[in-house]
Amino acid sequence: MVLVLALGDLHIPHRAADLPPKFKSMLVPGKIQHIICTGNLCIKEVHDYLKSLCPDMHITRGEYDEDARYPETKTLTIGQFKLGLCHGHQVVPWGDLDSLAMLQRQLDVDILVTGHTHQFKAYKHEGGVVINPGSATGAYSSITYDVNPSFVLMDIDALRVVVYVYELIDGEVKVDKIDFKKTSTSHSAH
Amino acid sequence: MSIELKLSRSNRIFRPNESLEGKIIAKFPSSISHQGIRITATGNVNLQVRGGSAGVIESLVGVLKPVRIMKESIEVRSSGKLSSGTTEIPFTVMLREGQNGFDRFYETFHGANISIQYLVTADIMRGYLHKSLSATVEFIVESKKTNLLKKPVSPEMVSFFITQDTQRHPLLPELFSGGFRVAGKIITQCALLDPLNGEITIEASAVPIHSIDIHLLCVESILIGEKIVSETSLIQTTQIADGDICHSMTLPIYVILPRLLTCPTVSAGLFSIEFQVSIVISFQSELAKLHPKSDPTIPRLWLAMETLPLRLFRTN
Amino acid sequence: MEFRVRDYEEEEAIYSLWPRISTIGDHPLITRNLSSSIKVDVADSGKNDFYDPLRMPTAHIQDNTADDLPCDEDPYLSAKEWASFKRSLMQKFSGSKLVTISSISDAILRRGKVYEISSAATHAEELDNPRKASEDGVKVITCQEYVSRLREFQDEIKHAWKADDRVTSLKSSIKVARLLLDTSVSEFYPTLFILVTDVMDILGDMVWDRIKRKAEYVDDGTLICSLQENFGTSDVCSDAKETCYNWFCKIGSIRELLPRIYLELSILRCWRFLHEHPWKILHRVVMMIRGLADPLASYYCRLYMVYCAQKLLSPDTGYLVACITDMTIILRRIISEEETMSKRLVEHNVSLISLLEPPLEWIIKSICMEAYKKRQYEDIFVKLQLGRGLSNSSGTSECISIIIHHFLKELPAELVCSHASFILQLIESANDISLNQYLNYRLLGLKLSEQKSRVDNVDSVLGTVFQVITQYSRLDEYVKVVDAFLDIVLQYNMDNYLTIILDGISIRTRSKEITGNELSSLQSIIVKLLAHFNLVEDVLALNHFLEIIHVMHGSSRDVVNMHILDKGTRNGYICDPTTVQMLFDISQTLHDCPDTFSVKADHNEQQAHLISRFVQLVDYGAAMERHLTFLVECRGAFGRISELKEVLVRSSNKLAMKAIKDANNPVDFVKSCIAFNEVTIPSISATAKRMNLYLETVEVSLFSGLVCHADGLVYSAIDCLQSVDQSEGLLLQNDSNGVLSWIQKLCSLLVIIPGNPEQGVAYCPGTILALVESHSWITPQLRLRVFCTILSLLATLSQNKLPYHAYDAEVVGNDRLFYGDPSYHQELASLSSSVLTKVIDGVLQEPNRVIRGNLALEACNYVLSAYKATSEISTICSKLMEIAKSCLNANDKYMRNTVKYLDKHMSNTLGDATKPVVST
Repeated sequence: MVLVLALGDLHIPHRAADLPPKFKSMLVPGKIQHIICTGNLCIKEVHDYLKSLCPDMHITRGEYDEDARYPETKTLTIGQFKLGLCHGHQVVPWGDLDSLAMLQRQLDVDILVTGHTHQFKAYKHEGGVVINPGSATGAYSSITYDVNPSFVLMDIDALRVVVYVYELIDGEVKVDKIDFKKTSTSHSAH
Repeated sequence: MSIELKLSRSNRIFRPNESLEGKIIAKFPSSISHQGIRITATGNVNLQVRGGSAGVIESLVGVLKPVRIMKESIEVRSSGKLSSGTTEIPFTVMLREGQNGFDRFYETFHGANISIQYLVTADIMRGYLHKSLSATVEFIVESKKTNLLKKPVSPEMVSFFITQDTQRHPLLPELFSGGFRVAGKIITQCALLDPLNGEITIEASAVPIHSIDIHLLCVESILIGEKIVSETSLIQTTQIADGDICHSMTLPIYVILPRLLTCPTVSAGLFSIEFQVSIVISFQSELAKLHPKSDPTIPRLWLAMETLPLRLFRTN
Repeated sequence: MEFRVRDYEEEEAIYSLWPRISTIGDHPLITRNLSSSIKVDVADSGKNDFYDPLRMPTAHIQDNTADDLPCDEDPYLSAKEWASFKRSLMQKFSGSKLVTISSISDAILRRGKVYEISSAATHAEELDNPRKASEDGVKVITCQEYVSRLREFQDEIKHAWKADDRVTSLKSSIKVARLLLDTSVSEFYPTLFILVTDVMDILGDMVWDRIKRKAEYVDDGTLICSLQENFGTSDVCSDAKETCYNWFCKIGSIRELLPRIYLELSILRCWRFLHEHPWKILHRVVMMIRGLADPLASYYCRLYMVYCAQKLLSPDTGYLVACITDMTIILRRIISEEETMSKRLVEHNVSLISLLEPPLEWIIKSICMEAYKKRQYEDIFVKLQLGRGLSNSSGTSECISIIIHHFLKELPAELVCSHASFILQLIESANDISLNQYLNYRLLGLKLSEQKSRVDNVDSVLGTVFQVITQYSRLDEYVKVVDAFLDIVLQYNMDNYLTIILDGISIRTRSKEITGNELSSLQSIIVKLLAHFNLVEDVLALNHFLEIIHVMHGSSRDVVNMHILDKGTRNGYICDPTTVQMLFDISQTLHDCPDTFSVKADHNEQQAHLISRFVQLVDYGAAMERHLTFLVECRGAFGRISELKEVLVRSSNKLAMKAIKDANNPVDFVKSCIAFNEVTIPSISATAKRMNLYLETVEVSLFSGLVCHADGLVYSAIDCLQSVDQSEGLLLQNDSNGVLSWIQKLCSLLVIIPGNPEQGVAYCPGTILALVESHSWITPQLRLRVFCTILSLLATLSQNKLPYHAYDAEVVGNDRLFYGDPSYHQELASLSSSVLTKVIDGVLQEPNRVIRGNLALEACNYVLSAYKATSEISTICSKLMEIAKSCLNANDKYMRNTVKYLDKHMSNTLGDATKPVVST
């Protein structure tokens, strides 16, 4: 069981002071094996905080990130899965499935994680999976300020992925889960 | 062409009734013939009275005839040839007591007037045409183990006080009027290999102390005719306080007895060797500066002293 | 060529793994009904039928608490510590440059030329010491000269030893040791001590090695036995013993006490060859040193003794205790007649004590180390008669300040805490010139603060201490002690003492210039206060606190101000207007400080960061107008911090967003915010930041329906890019992805900005196109990607229903604005066809093969995504794929993915008849 925390669009401190305390209390060091972050943290302190949860961290750059060293896109392999990471403000139009599919083909990944729209999404499209963990702080986005804080935890086990969605609705954390398997035909093993 | 003597013990110390062992090492470029090789061990007491310091008996100035303690001579090789190169010839001489002169051996001692010396000589006789070859080396005699005294169970400490009233010589007026009191104790019988122990405390002193020294003295006496001529010489000075030390603090007296300059106290009728220890306190004084080189054992205005006899003996 | 028709809503419904459709807006009923998976409230864990990983039973946490007790170290002070002690000693007394040579140390003179002195400096000295001047030939050499001559001695000793001339080695060593007789060199004495003992150590090592060799080997080199580390006298052959005894005899015949002691110490460990319990002789050596009347000589001699004695591995600490006792007696003699001493003598004695301090320090350290090892502190207290106060509390014990100081320094904190009252009594009783008493109070405070355990009688201890220190009139002493005790006062919540402290400082700082030392103590006090309280408000509200800060100046004030700001920005938003004002004033002081922005870059960056953070965290709540005014004030006040301008713009945007969310009719206020940004953004120097902030402001203005502002801001943003000149362009080129991603973001944003009917809908995309074509710093690769982006934008704009709209319903999307307008679609189509041509040309122009191949694939994907799969498009795609194939490896993943997609796409839309010629 490998746990991968996926989150992004925190916009600290410009649009939100901090992660919701209820999220923070759930995120303790030692549980998570990898963090993938779509970007827009925006400051170093947040980076350091995430790093304290889990040192194995992968980040791509959002347009407001101070740290210019984050790459635009990143890929990594966890178990049988190849994951791609991109913030998503570069996708025209934002959140468009076809455009995301293009990126997925380019990066050659099974799971593409992007953000920017601040809305949790999960698609199965063109044989791959696209996940948007939403904004972990509930910050306003380019097109909406009606945002519930959310993040995603992926439990990757062999060919199976369970995606847990944590969403803060009216002060309570709701957890959902989505289950999917990698079909042997969709992508050949890497 | 040389010959050399080498004793079996590197410290060259032998005791009565032991055998003196060693070897003659001869080195020749070519072989030589000889008329015998001889080893001779001798022990003498040399007595002399120096003028000047003794002063009293000018007529007696000069060296007295040495007194023989022992003489052993043996032939280690009868006449023959020594081949070229290095030849080693071992020898053994018994050191037997009471053979001539004195009934026992005295320990080696080199004093100002009395010297007790043991020598071993090797001679290679080469007839009239050649000068005989010889080599001499001193060996040291220490008392026979069986004769050694037992160490006293508790070394006897003698207490002493030094005050302005115990001094038999004139003192600086401020010293005399202000007064001083020094207490101490010291052993008066001391084994040669043990340190001379004691302690001393300045209880009071009106004048600051300059130094405290322990002098080890040797008294050599020689019987000449019916007179005994004695001379005292300083053999070692040990400073135990430098400057105006704190009062009431006990200082140790700790003197390691110098080898060769000391021996067991001897009284042999013809001569005697005795020792004394002298505790000298010198007080700070401008006068003292004017006499930087003066004999420290001579009473002076700024000195206070106490001299005690010291019997030395050898133990295990 | 026709754009592909998309139905974003339907796609969402088909492909979403999670059927919550939020693009329509929030509808609680729909959310609930459509949710197929189980919703669980974390707060109610009883109903869970699955565990999410974050709430899984926690795996046992490993207890990593390190063992607090130090492991069994060497109980003796190590050679390393000795070396560092020597170094610090040399540094501490490195003042003197010239050494006066008296007749005692003339051994050094015979080794070379000496400066006969006639300078004014020495003349003064002659007047100082007429007696010395009367001795003719006062000679002076430099320290360096002295050192180099000692080196010569050292070489001579080693050389003679090698040549088997051990008598010369010994004689030279005695000469060197004699140098320590001369204590008139005072300041130079510690250095001299080190130099001389180094030589002694060399001799000691040589003798030790020689005797050890004698014990282990016979003359011809055959091994008799090898001595173990802990050998006994029975392991040593008589020959070796004799040699050893000879050495002690030779040394014993040295007349003078001091060189005799030093020489014996140098070979002290050789007693191990002769005595089964060699440490027993230490008592005698301690007593012998008493014979050295000169305090300086005797202290340093004891230091060397303790150092040498460590090698005897003595199980008994009696000799150390005896040493300290003797040293105390000497010290008492120096300090005793303070009242009767002339001022000059007091000064002389104080400087003498400073020279005596290091040996004292080392020996006390050794004693405490031993005591620690054996847990025998009380025993040592009693032996040193420090414990006299314990049994007889009324009796005045005669402790000496400096000795207490060093003991206190070495005692473990826990012991100090449990004996606090007793130690306090000792400190009270010791008030002499050896060490100012306040330093002991201070040290006590520091020691008590070190420990987490309870302090014995804390109330009475503090009561006594404060009774004493309230008598102090000097600020310096007062703040130093107070600083040390502050931790305890805070730890035990003794508010009354805190009040006393602040009052005390306030009184003592009034109308007084505050010096550097005092400032650093004040700084420490304030930093401690800030660390203690949770809220900066609580600290600021303390009596006299602001007053104290105001009397501070220089870098200490800056540091304090930074700490206050840091504290103020630790706990999230700052809402209290008074606090905001105070922090604003502090920030302004920092900002206006003359040297702040010139000297230390790091420091300044930290300051700028703190001020920015403060501005970020200010929250006026509902008083949004006031908040905006505050931002305006900040813009005026902190002009020199460039980082802050970005913060201001973003704060203003945040404020506007808050207004939009909360207020009913916020348009005017939002307008003010946007106007504020419109003024502020141009003053930001970094182009990339400026561009991003423009876009953010565009987004905010759209939330409020301010289309005109949005338009203007978009143009400003494009102008930014337009105005990038060659040199800046080259810089940006390193970040060319940044430029591309910014254009991509702008294009996505353009989806929701209503087109201007007068300028035509293609105005903005057209401007961007013109821009990338005209700027020479834009690489062909970047240019091509911008073309593809524009293609995507045009395809999106052509849809009957756009994928997303502005949140504000008054902003009408292009889909509604131009619904069914043929000229709108015509414009999009014509622009797209010209872009398409450029795309293909662009691919062909790329010189690098691999890049060309990848660009061809990218272009192909974009074309497929934008257009309906007509035969014309199929031809274009085939052509692009041919290029890709010619450039890339057949196994290239991107190419294989694209081919697969292309096949599927074409067969879906065209049927078998028009199946593309491309195949895998």
